[in-house]
Amino acid sequence: MDVHLVLLPILLPLAGSAVALLLRKRPRLQAGWALAVMLASLAASSWLLARVWSSGGAVVFQSGGWPAPVGISLVGDLLSATMAVMSQAVLTMGIVYALGSRDRVVGYPAFYPIFLTMGAGLTGAMLTGDLFNLFVFTELLVFSGTILTAISDDRLGTEAAFKYFYMSLLASATLLLAIGSLYVSYGTLNMADLARRIAAAPDAPLLPVAIALLIATFMVKSAVFPFHFWQPDFHTASPTAVSAMLSSVVVKLGVYGFLRMTTLLFVKQAGPVQGLLVVLGLAGIVYGGLGALGTHNAKRMLAYSTLAQVGFILVAVGWGSRPALAAALVFAVNHSLIKAALLMLAGAVASRAPVKTAAFDVVTGLGRYMPLTGLLFFVGGLALMGIPPTNGFVSKMIFFRSGIEAGQFATLAVAGLVSVLTLVYVVRAFQRIWWQRPAEGAKAKAKGDQLLAPALLIAAVLLLGLWPEPLVRLSEATAIWLGDPQSYIRAVLGG
Amino acid sequence: MELLTALAVGALFGVAIFQMLRRNAIRSAIGLILLGAAINLFLLSTGAYQGLVAAYADAVGQRSDALPQALILTAIVISMGGISLVLALLLVLSARYGTSDLDEIDELRG
Repeated sequence: MDVHLVLLPILLPLAGSAVALLLRKRPRLQAGWALAVMLASLAASSWLLARVWSSGGAVVFQSGGWPAPVGISLVGDLLSATMAVMSQAVLTMGIVYALGSRDRVVGYPAFYPIFLTMGAGLTGAMLTGDLFNLFVFTELLVFSGTILTAISDDRLGTEAAFKYFYMSLLASATLLLAIGSLYVSYGTLNMADLARRIAAAPDAPLLPVAIALLIATFMVKSAVFPFHFWQPDFHTASPTAVSAMLSSVVVKLGVYGFLRMTTLLFVKQAGPVQGLLVVLGLAGIVYGGLGALGTHNAKRMLAYSTLAQVGFILVAVGWGSRPALAAALVFAVNHSLIKAALLMLAGAVASRAPVKTAAFDVVTGLGRYMPLTGLLFFVGGLALMGIPPTNGFVSKMIFFRSGIEAGQFATLAVAGLVSVLTLVYVVRAFQRIWWQRPAEGAKAKAKGDQLLAPALLIAAVLLLGLWPEPLVRLSEATAIWLGDPQSYIRAVLGG
Repeated sequence: MELLTALAVGALFGVAIFQMLRRNAIRSAIGLILLGAAINLFLLSTGAYQGLVAAYADAVGQRSDALPQALILTAIVISMGGISLVLALLLVLSARYGTSDLDEIDELRG
């Protein structure tokens, strides 16, 4: 049972999705089943995290009983388990939101099964210890995300999905090329085994090529600055329940990839990668902040803000010191909760607008009909700006402290200055929706999406702001674990 | 044979990227198919010649590694799904926008 723990968070949504397809004639039952499966899967990944944290090692499952590096290993270490719990918590909230949503798309028989495969793909990509397996799971994630956006109520969803899918196919191409380059150089695809062999023979001619291709792959996955252009379109046009997932947890896959690259696979070659991450992260912070200022749509504004927030995380990953890695993790978890909540709230506002859109022109002044949404959006906005008592404050504080410890004052100055933009665009959105008078004759619909899911997420935002110790200690333990790649290699390969 | 494979991989990549950059959506989808073929040929060549001995094989004389072929099989299946999804999206898009020129499918702005 012990080692199978790492299998459950992947297998449950995958098998649950197949069963959900069989239940397609019973919509209520199917939706309830999807929620139950996701909850069970969240329980499994939390159990995995508790086990990994208390034992201080990693839970490794060798599939088919083949010992690594011959078989495919699934590895639940502190980083993967934390990421998996974060993803599945937000995914569960996504299903809760979909249950109370008035979008037509959630009534399609394929919605919940594809949502579950998206969860399986995301969790699987984070829990696998094999590069090719990572490729397979990311493809599952990409396909599911594309389909869920293409069937969106927004008629532009298809166009956004096409753009995203095209980019993602190119990213899969670079990932496959990287896999081929690494395989021909080192004869293995197991990440632990690769790390060992790369450290032993770092002068293979194809190694820099593979590193560059992997960087490109994860940059597309995380929508890092020059590869970001599909992201605002994609996150705006997808159904609210889905865009809240895409903009919060799905972009963290690239962050996870970069963490694995710099702390496990290419420890000796990490310098240039980290330098690149700092520069690109900073560019993302500036560009995302300015982009969010220039938008006319609340959802689009939040999508640009994701670009900036992922920039903060990448800068911390790029610094690479132990406190910076801990800061990156805290930031990643907190941003997932904040961004999912805010996107759901923007979607809830849009669901009550006369035409279903979050464009400021349409939703101006409609806030007076939804005071509770306004309260939640206010708290979420505080968190995005980094004002106490929210978890956004905790992540910004740890981020700046780790930067000061690393002596990166120039980067900090730019990041600090530009994060003032967050204040501007969040306040502007709040003002447009909740303070201004509605246009003549504009009235909100009587019913919209339910607020249970964003309310729960905002509660988590406040809880983690008032009581951040567990998350911070977990992240510090993870950073210590990441600082010692040998223990990961030993856990997977044995001996 | 190695030179021939290298040339073929290079030529396929060249044609694929050229096609992908075309404005016509159908041609760029064909470019994607060719790109998949180029990558698969590249993967095949990683296991075909005497380079490193595969992780599981002790025999030094073993020339051909079966693992890349397994990888290619998986990649082919996935890319088939990918291409059919691209074509399905194109079908919807061309019906909705009345064009297959990618420059004219640009309603998402802001």
